[in-house]
Amino acid sequence: MKIIWSLTICLLVGAAGYAQALDLKNLDRLSAKASDTTDVTLDGSLLKLAAKFLSANDPDQAKIKKLVAELKGIYVKTFEFENEGAYSESDVTAIRSQLKSPGWSRIVTVHSSKDGDNAEVYLNTGGSDGGLAIICANPKQLTVVNIVGKIDLDELSELGGNLGVPKIDIEKEKPKPPKKEDD
Amino acid sequence: MSYLEDDLKMALRRTEPPEDFAKRVLTRANAPAPPEPAWWGRLAVLLRPPRVQWVALSIVASIIIPVAGVQYRKERQLRAEGEKAREQLVFAVRVAGSKLHHVQQKVLEMGRMDTRL
Amino acid sequence: MVFSLAYHFLRDRGLAEELAQEVFLELYRCLDTIESRAHLVFWLRKVASRRCIDQTRRRAFWPKLRLDDVPEPAAKIREADPMLSRALARLVASLPEKPRLVVILRYQEDLEPAEIAQLLDMPVATVKSHLHRSLDMLRDKLARTVGEIAI
Repeated sequence: MKIIWSLTICLLVGAAGYAQALDLKNLDRLSAKASDTTDVTLDGSLLKLAAKFLSANDPDQAKIKKLVAELKGIYVKTFEFENEGAYSESDVTAIRSQLKSPGWSRIVTVHSSKDGDNAEVYLNTGGSDGGLAIICANPKQLTVVNIVGKIDLDELSELGGNLGVPKIDIEKEKPKPPKKEDD
Repeated sequence: MSYLEDDLKMALRRTEPPEDFAKRVLTRANAPAPPEPAWWGRLAVLLRPPRVQWVALSIVASIIIPVAGVQYRKERQLRAEGEKAREQLVFAVRVAGSKLHHVQQKVLEMGRMDTRL
Repeated sequence: MVFSLAYHFLRDRGLAEELAQEVFLELYRCLDTIESRAHLVFWLRKVASRRCIDQTRRRAFWPKLRLDDVPEPAAKIREADPMLSRALARLVASLPEKPRLVVILRYQEDLEPAEIAQLLDMPVATVKSHLHRSLDMLRDKLARTVGEIAI
């Protein structure tokens, strides 16, 4: 599995053909049951507009600007539920069936029977645009990500990694810097 | 406790204002005060028949102000849309990245467990 | 800093920008009273904080979200989680005004309780009390989640 992963994270997706966005409309009805929903649909001119507003001065935004330069669309749906069993396997199957079409290949599946966590990562190498799909499901949360276009998995993964925020304590007293005047 | 504080630091880290924010502040700060009219100008205004003056003013205002107002509103709306789209894009990329990263970590963990067996 | 403080307090970019502009215009008007860089930073934080509180009082019709109304994040995670960050930011925005400001000054600006007390003209004990109670409320909300986040 390690070998498969190292091969795939070096992969820059792109080949001849056309990759379309997944149809995620069947998931919309889950909003009614979810305690929190996120729905991001950015493609065409809206994606270009968003990229235009990314700041070159902010290091993270500059990285994102470079990452999305060749994207055609980015779609994210997340649902958080108060209780388990709020969504069914058939909701996810409807997405998976689209990922069986030519061009898509599943590169990673991770499953934990202990806590019901499942994750699948798919790459589309059959289109000129390329694409990525991620399905993450646990009993209280469902996330589907679909990216259409060329994307560097290494850079994307790095943007999602731990930023290493240091610990702080309410009671800890820092050494006071010199001066400090009242206004 | 420390995890919560870490998460709070992450959630509340500084957010940048729009790129042209400084420019807008400086524009407002440096906006010149309207010039004082010359004495003869003020006299002419006082002597002009009020009705004609108000009619002329209202005609000019009814053309210029809506046009300028529409233009300003359009720009402001576009800026608001662009900033909202940017926030969504940043959020979407972070979600995608965090999921991918987590999968990667899981795979690496499994790889380490395999080599230990 | 000013924009960010206003944004985390008000959770509205448009309002935050307006407020930040007002702060900088006020600074421009009394620039000659600023004596040092440290004084400038202190002044900006103080005025921004005051305007944040004024803003919420002016917009009394703004529906106040109670902490209980904000949905709990479905899971707990140790890695950078943008969804958890967003949920936490919303939870912070649902705190009462003074505790909210104290939390933002502590975790955005990394100020010590004594510095926050000086900024907000508040006893240090009150600042610490706000912090402890706010963290308890936030922790309580998060602690009710079960399991690890989906990978």
